[in-house]
Amino acid sequence: MNTARVGVLAAVLLAAQPPNRLSAQDSQFGIRGLGTPGKLESVRARTTGGAFAPFDAFSPLTDAILADVRRMSASFTSGTSWRSVDASGVQSTLRGTRFPAMVIAGPVTRRIVVGGGFSTYLDRSFGVVIHDTIDLRGVQQPITDAITSDGAIADLRIAVAARLHRRLALGLGLHRITGSTRVNATRSFADTANYRTTTARDEVAYGATGGSASLLFDVTSDLRVAGWFRTDTRLRADVGGHTVAENDLPLTYGTGLQWRAGAQASVAGSLTWRNWGSVQSIANAHDTFNWSVGAEIGSPASPFRFGLRGGQLPFGVGKTPTEVGYSAGLGRQFSGGRGRLDIGLERLQRSGTGLNERVWTFLLGLTVRP
Amino acid sequence: MTRQLAFLFLLAAAACTEQVTAPGSCPNFCPTDSIAIRDTIFATIIDRDSSFRGYVPSYGAEAMPVADLPGIVDSRAFFVLSKAATRVTVKTGDTTTTPIIPDSVRFRLSIVRRDTLATNLRIRLYHVPITADSTSTFASLDAAFNGPVVDSMNVSALLGSPAFIDTVTADSLERRFYGDTTYRDGGGHILVVRDSGRILDLYFHLDTLQAPVVEADSGQLGFGVRVAADSLASIALSTNEAGRPPFLQRFFHHTIPDTVSTQPDSVVFGNQTQAPIFDSFVFDPPSPALDSNLAVGGVPAARALLRVAMPAFLHDSIDVVRATLILVPVSAVQGAPIDSFRILARPVLADLGAKSPLSTNSTLYGSRVIHIGASDTVNIELTNLVRAWSLDTTMATAFILGQVPEATSYTEIRFYSSRAPAFRPGLHVTYVKRFRFGVP
Repeated sequence: MNTARVGVLAAVLLAAQPPNRLSAQDSQFGIRGLGTPGKLESVRARTTGGAFAPFDAFSPLTDAILADVRRMSASFTSGTSWRSVDASGVQSTLRGTRFPAMVIAGPVTRRIVVGGGFSTYLDRSFGVVIHDTIDLRGVQQPITDAITSDGAIADLRIAVAARLHRRLALGLGLHRITGSTRVNATRSFADTANYRTTTARDEVAYGATGGSASLLFDVTSDLRVAGWFRTDTRLRADVGGHTVAENDLPLTYGTGLQWRAGAQASVAGSLTWRNWGSVQSIANAHDTFNWSVGAEIGSPASPFRFGLRGGQLPFGVGKTPTEVGYSAGLGRQFSGGRGRLDIGLERLQRSGTGLNERVWTFLLGLTVRP
Repeated sequence: MTRQLAFLFLLAAAACTEQVTAPGSCPNFCPTDSIAIRDTIFATIIDRDSSFRGYVPSYGAEAMPVADLPGIVDSRAFFVLSKAATRVTVKTGDTTTTPIIPDSVRFRLSIVRRDTLATNLRIRLYHVPITADSTSTFASLDAAFNGPVVDSMNVSALLGSPAFIDTVTADSLERRFYGDTTYRDGGGHILVVRDSGRILDLYFHLDTLQAPVVEADSGQLGFGVRVAADSLASIALSTNEAGRPPFLQRFFHHTIPDTVSTQPDSVVFGNQTQAPIFDSFVFDPPSPALDSNLAVGGVPAARALLRVAMPAFLHDSIDVVRATLILVPVSAVQGAPIDSFRILARPVLADLGAKSPLSTNSTLYGSRVIHIGASDTVNIELTNLVRAWSLDTTMATAFILGQVPEATSYTEIRFYSSRAPAFRPGLHVTYVKRFRFGVP
């Protein structure tokens, strides 16, 4: 079995996974909100700090860039994270492996490209253990609560991109936001002789729809500008067939700039705004602004990438939590350009009132063009 | 390249282990909802409660209480032994019989409950009529129990004497086998301590006057047992139902006539055993008649049926973590400390009143030891039972309180029923409200 077939098989297997397994990177900041927003980026884009996402067809951030796809192609992203959490002096170390994005696209005519795939919209995998002592029947009773949530809200996208002009491409996308989390709340008592452990289990199903539009404009042959906009309906949460919550989802808009500094170097930057503060039901939701800059150096067959990102997280007590990240990675084409393997390493630091997180993430991406 | 790819995929697969649980930093970084616990005493949840008597009679009990507690109770055990042969056949196929000549009798009683603090504990044997049966009362047998003492054994004195070591069965260090310890006195009495001290086997050595073979009675004998002590005179004797009844072994001999044997005029020795065909006990004062309270115990055994009117919310929106039945005794139970007993709450399979069939699922039972002299509120944990009711709405929400084992003691406890508003039974339930999943 040659490498290309292995890649295709891997992509098909990953595509067959249920969406709730395809979560992004978790954060304790998302527990008291709707979740942790996913990064709509391929490994290539992520190792440039996210700056290349508007200009990378295999990052599900924008739709217009799909117009650059000349052959049927598929790409997937995986990431393994090691996260250390410092919550008011309480340290813990967490880890998880996620498959945050997959994109498949191909031209239907010379000017029109259709693509689709899935990505993580919000990650809702977390677990908290709480030790406390409560007064029960006049006796101080030590208890342990464990509340866990396993799953994510995925963004299924079908998009079409059209090259309207030699320098202008337009993209439109339709999004179905769906997913579920298996949730569990357990309380156990130190006095096991008299008190029984109580466990509540359920599955929460989420649903919403959305639309996106984007433009890609080549100012010159070396300079590109991108702009995008996205809106979604309210996110519905159902338990046992009954709607238990409906929450607004943010408007998203952003812009990016890419400059090709010769045949073996590119530099890009992007800005993104999301009005998470419109989620009325959450007291500590904040609008976010995120930026990124990155570069890709070397031959297109084996480039070296690095990047820097910064910005805010939508949920957190007090002032808006911030995130700073550094990343770097390598790409390598194989099988005569029919496949490409991307690897990367990312370091994130998140800070908020009462909580700091540090994350190392190993990224692995595979793109195949059968 | 293929090898490099395979290596990377293996690396990714190896990293596919999850650890997402961390100590909670609440409330800022915990889910909005929390596990809310509630603690409520349902004072009127138990209604239509009643008591019924007659489940186990004294002659069906696993033990016979024998006590002499002045001002409290005088309890006496009695039993009638099976028939004994008075003649034996000396040759197979020949109808000729010859009379047996009794030699001696070994008679055993087993004490299964006693107060180890009792001093000068004496067991006294009496003859009772072989016509004694289930209709016999304390008064009808009183004359027999005040007649001549057949034999008496001082248990305290025996236990205080040096233990007898059987050098055949003990080792060189005089360690005893099987955990048994044997004592004997000059009167032919033997006391064997069995089962790590829980059982005392008393062996009486009776002669032909103490245990006569009356041909008109077909060798049947009736015995009664009373107890005396400086204090705490309360014991229980094992019965047929418990598998260790009183037991009599009669040793005899007879002479073979010279016309029927090749060994004329030879003397043959033998023995035969007699076990009770009926055993029971009588006591004074008898168990009082049932009233508006909930009676549990006594003889014949009384049980209380309590019905629980479960509110709807206890069925579907909560999880019970603890449920305790609260019962207020009418008065303290009288007796010796060793007479403390256990009461058991067992769910019914169907509510058919006094004849409700009982569940055999012991995980749903609740129990509590009732101590003599204690008048405190009695709490019985019924968590598993109430949880089961909460989950299964088809279950009958009623249970029966009974003494364990039943009818083995004159003791009885009475609780206030739902007819006494201030002291009625209640159910103390600690429960967790349903967690609001899906709400951020």
